[in-house]
Amino acid sequence: MTETETNMTRPVLEARGIVRRFGGITAVDGVDVTVGQGEIVGLIGPNGSGKSTMVNLLTGELAPDKGTIRFAGKDITGVAPYRRARLGIARSFQMLRMFTSMSVEDNMLTATHIHMKRGLLSSLLNLPSARAEEDEVRARARDLLAMFELEQFAGRPVTALSIGQQRMVELARGVLSGPKLFLLDEPAAGLAPPNVDRLIALIKRMRDEFGISILLIEHDMRVVRELCDRVVVLDSGELIAEGHPETVVNDPAVIEAYIGKGWSRRAQA
Amino acid sequence: MKHLALFAAAIALLALAPVVLGGHGLSVMTLTLTNLVLAVGLNLVAGYCGQFSFAQAAFFGIGAYTTAIMSRDLGTGVWINLPAGIIIAGLFGLVLGVPALRVKGHFLAIVTIAFQTVVYLTLVQWTDFTGGQNGILVPGVGETSILGIIRFNVQSLDSYYWLTLALAAVAIVVAWRLVHSRLGREWIAVRDDETLAQAVGVNTTTTKLSAFVASAAFAGAAGALNAYTMRTAAPDDFTIFISSIILAIMILGGKGTFLGPIVGAFILTIIPESLGEFSRYKMLFFGVLLILTITFLPGGIMQLVRNARTRRA
Ligand SMILES: Nc1ncnc2c1ncn2[C@@H]1O[C@H](COP(=O)(O)OP(=O)(O)OP(=O)(O)O)[C@@H](O)[C@H]1O
Ligand SMILES: [Mg+2]
Repeated sequence: MTETETNMTRPVLEARGIVRRFGGITAVDGVDVTVGQGEIVGLIGPNGSGKSTMVNLLTGELAPDKGTIRFAGKDITGVAPYRRARLGIARSFQMLRMFTSMSVEDNMLTATHIHMKRGLLSSLLNLPSARAEEDEVRARARDLLAMFELEQFAGRPVTALSIGQQRMVELARGVLSGPKLFLLDEPAAGLAPPNVDRLIALIKRMRDEFGISILLIEHDMRVVRELCDRVVVLDSGELIAEGHPETVVNDPAVIEAYIGKGWSRRAQA
Repeated sequence: MKHLALFAAAIALLALAPVVLGGHGLSVMTLTLTNLVLAVGLNLVAGYCGQFSFAQAAFFGIGAYTTAIMSRDLGTGVWINLPAGIIIAGLFGLVLGVPALRVKGHFLAIVTIAFQTVVYLTLVQWTDFTGGQNGILVPGVGETSILGIIRFNVQSLDSYYWLTLALAAVAIVVAWRLVHSRLGREWIAVRDDETLAQAVGVNTTTTKLSAFVASAAFAGAAGALNAYTMRTAAPDDFTIFISSIILAIMILGGKGTFLGPIVGAFILTIIPESLGEFSRYKMLFFGVLLILTITFLPGGIMQLVRNARTRRA
């Protein structure tokens, strides 16, 4: 392949041969994951198969023992988490995380700092240019809150919201940061069925309207089927299948993995 | 705007203190305002950024000795020594901040106690430079001017009080801007959840360091001016006991709230100083109060205020 060809076909995310051990266990064992531009890739597997570990490796929260991670054409393997966020990797957490003493709006605004062009000094001095920029990002935050049906909560303490609503804040905050890639770790967990439908629609909009590529960890197979262009299946840290959602869920190796571990009730649904 | 009007009114009222207060009362008020600057500064790192510190008195001392040593060796005046005290204390804030990055919770407390102790011992032991246990005498501010325009003579107790009030006013404005800027939001983000802060792109290392530096710089300013007020810089004014008092002020008032350390400074300076002959039990008073506050009212006085407000709403 020539260099130009490589660039044209190069995916947003390209993780190769990733290994991560915790003491005796190998949580991720030589896994390759790629996410193409505008693609929604599902990352599924039984409990403890290494999905969240993989996400933490991609964000830099954990360092891999082996393997390389390329993002937007750059090797980011050793890059600090906050730098990866600035490069355009957003994430949500399996266990919800919020800035618990902040309002919904301030939670959103933290994600905009990386794009603020005005210097810190002008922010400290509250110069008109800094205020204008702050007003502008506030307006964008309001727009996104509206998209996630949260606009009436903007000024409320984020902890006053239900867990489901806080999940939505988490997604809105991620979109506000303007990422190229959004890593979603079980966004449907704990959502009521009507909200799952809403979530599916919102994730589609993230990709279609905002051009965000997505890596989606999800146990709810309906969500996976409706959203994912491609699915990667992990079992005990190893990649055991990859392909179209319908093909993969009927793959004997995949069924075996789930049954062997005790087919997750959520996965059956 | 409402905030600004209230603030201006409060400062104007405080400026009248020399009219009604005698010598002792005015010294207590000067001490109150000094403690206020120290506590407001400590609140930046401990209250907003969540990095506990027992070292505020060390930075207070570094500011004071900057004034004392520069006056003695270089003959510089207050408008050089004050900024120098701020900068040098800020640099030492960085010296504490770097090892503090690696630790949390109790270990962080221990690192800051160690720093406080090392600074104190240096002030006591390095006799040639610091004057040892006796410290260094400091000349008065005397005749001075701001940019050669506004001339005034700082000699009386009143004028030192006003100078301290001016510093407190500036410190409050600077602190307000800091916590309401992007940086302040990042401090809170680090306090609330470091992992999440990194995930949204906050450089938690520089954010924490900036809080340590800002906090130390406030103490440096207070120290540089206090050396003039006291006419001396001596190590026993910069012990861990002073650090604990500042910590108590912040916690009783309400850490991580803007008004908390301000309210705390008035209460916890004026009450103990009014105990008269009982004031030798001051530390006991602080200790008991601190334990009671942490146990029963972790949000301090501002928590009471907030609770009262929500009940009314
Ligand atoms: N920080 C850690 N220290 C030690 N072991 C860990 C750590 N994080 C994960 N593990 C282990 O690594 C394995 C993979 O865990 P991981 O959380 O990645 O699974 P998962 O696929 O996300 O599971 P789930 O569906 O339950 O969220 C598990 O055996 C887990 O116990
Ligand atoms: Mg997981």
